[in-house]
Amino acid sequence: MPLEDYQAEMERCSQCSYCTWIPLDRIKSRRFAKGCPSVAYSHFLSYSARGRYAVALSLLQGKSTYTDRVLDIVYKCQACGSCDVSCKICRYNLEPLAAILALRAKLVQDGQSLPEHRVLMNHLHKEQNMMLKPKAARGHWAEGLNIKDLATETAEVVFHGGCRLSYDAQLQKTARTAVSLLKDAGVDVGILGNKETCCGSRAYTMGYRKELTNCAARLIKAWTGAGVKTVVTSCADCYHGFKRRYPEVGSTVEVLHTVEFIDRLIKEGKIKFTKTIPMTVTYHDPCHLGRQGEPYVPWKGIEKKIRKQVIVYEPRRPRYNGAWGVYDPPRDVLKSIPGVELVEMERIREYAWCCGAGAGVREAYADFSSWTATERIEEASRTGAEAIVSACPWCERNFIDAAALRGDGIKVFDVVDLVNQAM
Amino acid sequence: MALLQEIYKALEDTVGTQYICDDPAVLDSYSYPLTQTAIHMGPFFDIYTPRGEAVLMPGNAKEVQAIVRICNQYKLKLKASSTFWSAMGYPSGKNTIQLDMRRMDRIIEIDEKNMFAVIEPGVIGATLQAEAMKLGLNTHIIGAGSSCSPLASATSYNGAGPDCMFMGFGDENLLGLEWVMPDGEILRTGSLGSVLGWFCGEGPGPGVRGIIRGVVGAKGAMGVFTKCALKLYPWPGPPELPVEGTAPAYKAMLPDNFRAYTLAFPTWEAWADCCYQIWDAGIGYIAHRQFSLFGRELKAAMIKILTDPTKTLYDLEKLVQDPEIKKLNEEMKRDFQIVLAGMTPRDIEWQDKALDHILAETGGWKVAGMNEPEIRQWALLYLIRLGHKNLNLVYGGGYDGCFGMVGPPDLGTTHVEEVAEFKCEWERKGAIVDAGGDCMIGGIGGMGGGGGTMWENFAHFDPHDKESSEGTFDFFEACSRFAREKGIPPGMERWNAPSRGADGIETPTEDRENMLSATPQPSVFHYQRKIKEALDPNNLGDAYYMTLEEPKK
Repeated sequence: MPLEDYQAEMERCSQCSYCTWIPLDRIKSRRFAKGCPSVAYSHFLSYSARGRYAVALSLLQGKSTYTDRVLDIVYKCQACGSCDVSCKICRYNLEPLAAILALRAKLVQDGQSLPEHRVLMNHLHKEQNMMLKPKAARGHWAEGLNIKDLATETAEVVFHGGCRLSYDAQLQKTARTAVSLLKDAGVDVGILGNKETCCGSRAYTMGYRKELTNCAARLIKAWTGAGVKTVVTSCADCYHGFKRRYPEVGSTVEVLHTVEFIDRLIKEGKIKFTKTIPMTVTYHDPCHLGRQGEPYVPWKGIEKKIRKQVIVYEPRRPRYNGAWGVYDPPRDVLKSIPGVELVEMERIREYAWCCGAGAGVREAYADFSSWTATERIEEASRTGAEAIVSACPWCERNFIDAAALRGDGIKVFDVVDLVNQAM
Repeated sequence: MALLQEIYKALEDTVGTQYICDDPAVLDSYSYPLTQTAIHMGPFFDIYTPRGEAVLMPGNAKEVQAIVRICNQYKLKLKASSTFWSAMGYPSGKNTIQLDMRRMDRIIEIDEKNMFAVIEPGVIGATLQAEAMKLGLNTHIIGAGSSCSPLASATSYNGAGPDCMFMGFGDENLLGLEWVMPDGEILRTGSLGSVLGWFCGEGPGPGVRGIIRGVVGAKGAMGVFTKCALKLYPWPGPPELPVEGTAPAYKAMLPDNFRAYTLAFPTWEAWADCCYQIWDAGIGYIAHRQFSLFGRELKAAMIKILTDPTKTLYDLEKLVQDPEIKKLNEEMKRDFQIVLAGMTPRDIEWQDKALDHILAETGGWKVAGMNEPEIRQWALLYLIRLGHKNLNLVYGGGYDGCFGMVGPPDLGTTHVEEVAEFKCEWERKGAIVDAGGDCMIGGIGGMGGGGGTMWENFAHFDPHDKESSEGTFDFFEACSRFAREKGIPPGMERWNAPSRGADGIETPTEDRENMLSATPQPSVFHYQRKIKEALDPNNLGDAYYMTLEEPKK
């Protein structure tokens, strides 16, 4: 939907500031009560969902114009969706996250983009990745694995590495482990190698919507050609793109995150652990696997009023409020590893604090991105955990960097890494 | 009008570059739509509070003091707000500096032994409650919910809420206070003023509660409150609220010394009698007619929706037609919610027994449909944390209360049916939600053994819809007329009309004076004028601190 279509929401916003907090029922301390990194860091209300509604309305009504501050407000946000969850504790007819993304798309359309994002987009157009690396090197992470190349072969399952795991040398092992686990469990799996392209999900959250459509077209074509029925990925951003955005442009493949697949394999007895890992860990829910990882439900309909002024949608509109995200499979996997003790942070599941890397913030606002990750590391440290475990390479990269800056020695793992260690 | 460069520079030097902004878009995010929860005026469609000249986020009392002095020097007006819930926290005229107090959000101290907390303006009810519970204590949370600032409601507004029967009103809990006065002096009140700590609001040391609060609080118009101590109360529960459930149907799995009931009665007389007997018996932790906010015909359906995460408002129409839901609505026609909290196992058994005895005497009953575990645990959490108050706006995005009746239970019960019937007629016209007329909510009891109830009839509308907003305005006008005709006390729908008008700016003096002169006790506004003249010589505050000239002789 274009930004203009959100004007009614802007005027129906409750102005309550719930969007700045985690759900009030879930607050356990003053220290970890905030939900929105953007307003917590930048302070002015303008940096909250309610503030962005107001800024957008002001722009639409011509009361204000684009300034550096406006661009800062619009882009200094990870689009993590915490605001969306907290708003929808009570509201059924507001979509703050979708409105924020529409505001970004409007700015991009109006030529009001960030130079850091333009560099990424230029590279995406040329080399089809978000890591400023050559396309020709995309498949190097899988060298020596003897895995099917779906550029020339067919398989039931494609493992999608994603930009971060494909190119981040420190994290590539997670992709190698994940695809090996699948293969060893007897799954008919392959990869696209150098033919794999960026999913386009991060571009979409930066406001570049056409880029997602183009990426989707390329990948769907490749999957179709390789007879793929299921796509598995270890990246939460890719997962969200495949699960929630791709069906809108015609994808029908099943989408699974690696943790879902591994959880399934463990429960079917196809993965067995032989070693004990004596470690206390805490799990960080990636925003795009957790609250934004809910299943896609197609909908086309209209707003109408019942009981004179109650706003509803005909037919029933899906409600994405974080209730049905992927929360238990990664936890079940961790709990099944001998010796691993899982302790929880204060902000978890649908109200988890963001890692700080999303929606182009890592690239454009390094300090803010790092601060957000440091907040999470601090929260993790207070549980007494030796390690923070996640299921997204973007989260892990941000945590590794933040932990190094903090110098407190907390370890950072992907769920897959611990599974591998225990086998 | 942009601030003069020298003024901006002076303010910037005070708070630092990152905590001041005059970008128009930012200022518009500090501009409040008067179709929204304007409390209590309007609604005025497509009208916004005026832009401030700049918004500042001070970090401590010294910075606030410096800002106030600059405002005095340059004759700027000042509006401070903590959590920005309602129009009264926003500028009401030109040449105004907006203070956003959310940076000052520290809980400075919780004195477990003496049962009080010292907080800054940006602390919200939920964070204070969470920290207090760790020490076996609890804090009063106002009816607007736990996203609001306890300091703001204790110093600057009404401070009523569902737990008043056990924890008092906001202003009753106000102990020592740090106040940056309108002239820029810092006054520490009560025992704090004698360097004896925060434990007392009135002495030894200056007691200024009445001066600062006036009739119903300073409303951001009498200097800036930078710290205060608030009285805390016993919490006989676990150190952390044990919350479970799928969003938004969260629920509290509290031990058996907590009970949440919806009580219902055969007549309104019985309803009132039960209130008196509950106060006489001294039982109860929280009592409120809360879920009626959804309306007499919709409340059971809404509770069904809110306790089932698979449901949405789309299910409302079908649920309303369900015979079981209709039956439950009929059963809960004259109801209220109560939470009992036993300090010991014997205490909870005694309280429950006493409640059963009261119900037997009054003919009331515990509504079985509300005592299903899923609903009871949801209600318990709802009432203790008050983290769902945004449900006031669930239907169309706008609401406000009318018919604000504060007094003994009989006052409300005498009028509730005629008020409901009157609202039903307006609901049929279409501007407001057709909810069954009776959307009356309010607290059961104040401190000191109770004795008061508060009634507010919610009207829900769509602030994006001109006809709905203007129709709601007409309805509120009609409410005021109806109340006058029927001898019902003044309604909430126009409480703040003397302060801000239909154009979003300060009500013209003549209009304000006419309104205030017509109140039952105008002398209070004469006193407030004298206070304002003495303490705010440069008129930094706006007309939310209501004043009245002496009558012409």
